[in-house]
Amino acid sequence: MTAASLADRAPLLDVEDIRKNYLSGDTIQPVLKGLSFQVFKGEFVALQGPSGSGKSTLLSILGTLLRPTSGRFHMLGHDLTAASEDQLTAFRNRYIGFVFQYHHLLPDFTALENVMFPSATTAGRETPEMIQRAANLLARVGLAERINYRATKLSGGQKQRVAIARALMNNPPLVLADEPTGNLDRESADGVMRLLAEINAERGTSFFISTHDADIAKRCHRRITVIDGRLSGIEQGTPLESIAAE
Amino acid sequence: MRYALKFAARYLFSSKFQTSLLIGGVGIGVLVFCFMSALINGLTSFQIEQTTGSIAHVTVEPREQAPRVVSGAEPTVKQVVTVLRANVQREQIRSWPEVMTTIENHPLVREAVPIVSGNGLIARGQAIAPVAITGVRPEQLSEIAAIAPAIVDGEAELDLDGVLIGDRLARNLSIAVGQNLVIRSDRGRERSVRVRGIFALGVESLDERVAYMNFKSAKALLDLDNGISRIEVKLDDLDMAPDVANEFKGLTGLKVTSWTEKNKRLFDAIQGQNSTGSLIKFFSIVTIIIGVASALLLTSMRRRPEIGIMRSMGASKAFITSVFVLQGIMVGLLGAVVGAGLGYGFCNLLAAVAKRADGSVIFPIDPTQGAYLTGILLATGASAVAAILPARRAAQIDPVEAISQ
Repeated sequence: MTAASLADRAPLLDVEDIRKNYLSGDTIQPVLKGLSFQVFKGEFVALQGPSGSGKSTLLSILGTLLRPTSGRFHMLGHDLTAASEDQLTAFRNRYIGFVFQYHHLLPDFTALENVMFPSATTAGRETPEMIQRAANLLARVGLAERINYRATKLSGGQKQRVAIARALMNNPPLVLADEPTGNLDRESADGVMRLLAEINAERGTSFFISTHDADIAKRCHRRITVIDGRLSGIEQGTPLESIAAE
Repeated sequence: MRYALKFAARYLFSSKFQTSLLIGGVGIGVLVFCFMSALINGLTSFQIEQTTGSIAHVTVEPREQAPRVVSGAEPTVKQVVTVLRANVQREQIRSWPEVMTTIENHPLVREAVPIVSGNGLIARGQAIAPVAITGVRPEQLSEIAAIAPAIVDGEAELDLDGVLIGDRLARNLSIAVGQNLVIRSDRGRERSVRVRGIFALGVESLDERVAYMNFKSAKALLDLDNGISRIEVKLDDLDMAPDVANEFKGLTGLKVTSWTEKNKRLFDAIQGQNSTGSLIKFFSIVTIIIGVASALLLTSMRRRPEIGIMRSMGASKAFITSVFVLQGIMVGLLGAVVGAGLGYGFCNLLAAVAKRADGSVIFPIDPTQGAYLTGILLATGASAVAAILPARRAAQIDPVEAISQ
């Protein structure tokens, strides 16, 4: 995916001068100081930056969990800065998947139930179609034998795979991943990244991944670096296909 | 809702110990509620039964008449005699057969008893004692007060020459069954009668002062040839007494009073007792609300990260609220059913074992009046209400903060 081919396509995510301030006592603490960039459909983007640079805040804003202080951002043509909370909840459910550093599965539920959650919570019930789809996703992430295991009975790598399957349940065009390999050993981390790359290649799902790992970042389509709340640079990475092929 | 119900059930059963404690707490609250209901209602029924068992539910009496005065500056002898006669005449219901028919035809009336009564003296040798003479038809002797079962010596027989007296009066005058004595009325008439039986009602005023006589004999003795003193009425439903009394007042034009008017102090005491019971029941429900609310608040705090995750996955606030309100309803319902079941068992146990040596009850508890369904509905409703605050708090949790915990 080249810069020329990206320019031909409508952006999936269009971020314009996003700023976020926090109030610390009487002092206003600016965390994001005017970020502007675009993410296109099918892109695999790494978000880099030192701790405290504002990566997690940016991911929360892009995930509609947090509202920016100023600026605008659009996804699939929708102005998400102007949407109501209920609209954002529904939008998030339908169009955005999340993968967190600490998997954050629901401990009292099985792998299958965790994966089904994003669909079942809006439908108000679990349907046979949902069960089939969740089972297929778990099979896709290599956990066909573990679908009825409680989340607490799975290893760290397995939990993260369940979290990935859950993020894909509603087939969202964008998955936001906050340090998805940060809590895994090298082998599990490589496995998870390979899986994300494969899904990106298979489904055209866009990934926006916050990471400290330079090796992982290097192998993404683009690397967006944020330092002290400002965009430090956008670089091209290794073509996505090479990650999936490894 | 079905999916929220699944979450509520899973959350409850994943913390078995905490849930058991919570259900136990609600259960104890409902047990107290049902026990207090059975005790207070049983006590009320017992007191009313004890009181109304020996009195009329409705009493029909002659209208009270103000004493007449002689009018005019110089009244004639005839005018003075007329006024004097009217003033000394005993108050009575003269057209009592018609009144009896009206009363007996009322659908709520179980029994109507015509009674003649007046004051008199019982004399045996040198011993004299004041008595309240009560004339009643022999077949209706026990319709108002249970005289026949209270007979301790002799028989409940009221022939024309018979009399029944209380054990205290018999003791005071040293009279035994079969002995003769003379009864003198306040109208100056007297009659020799034979003691047929001695009763002990356990009410001092009755056992010491009342003498039951045959209706006809008493009418003659009390100079009530054409009228009667009152009609005592027993109803099928004593709660209807005030309404029926008002109805009779309109139909007969006589003075009609219900047992609640005649026993206002008892009625007030019962109401006070019921209010105390209601207060205790109210506090048991408040305890349930506080218990459920605090437990669910703790649960919502403990599950903050999960709630944050669910919100980030697109779960609506309504879904989160439903999960916690349903937990409250489930805890309330389970606890209430357990509490009502235990309450029923406890009340039955107490009613069976808490008795004195003579078989009389220590606690006049009535297990059938435990208000179990009310307890279950109130506790479940209260638990649902108690869950609203924790549920709203849970729904307001900021997912970003919760996830970062």
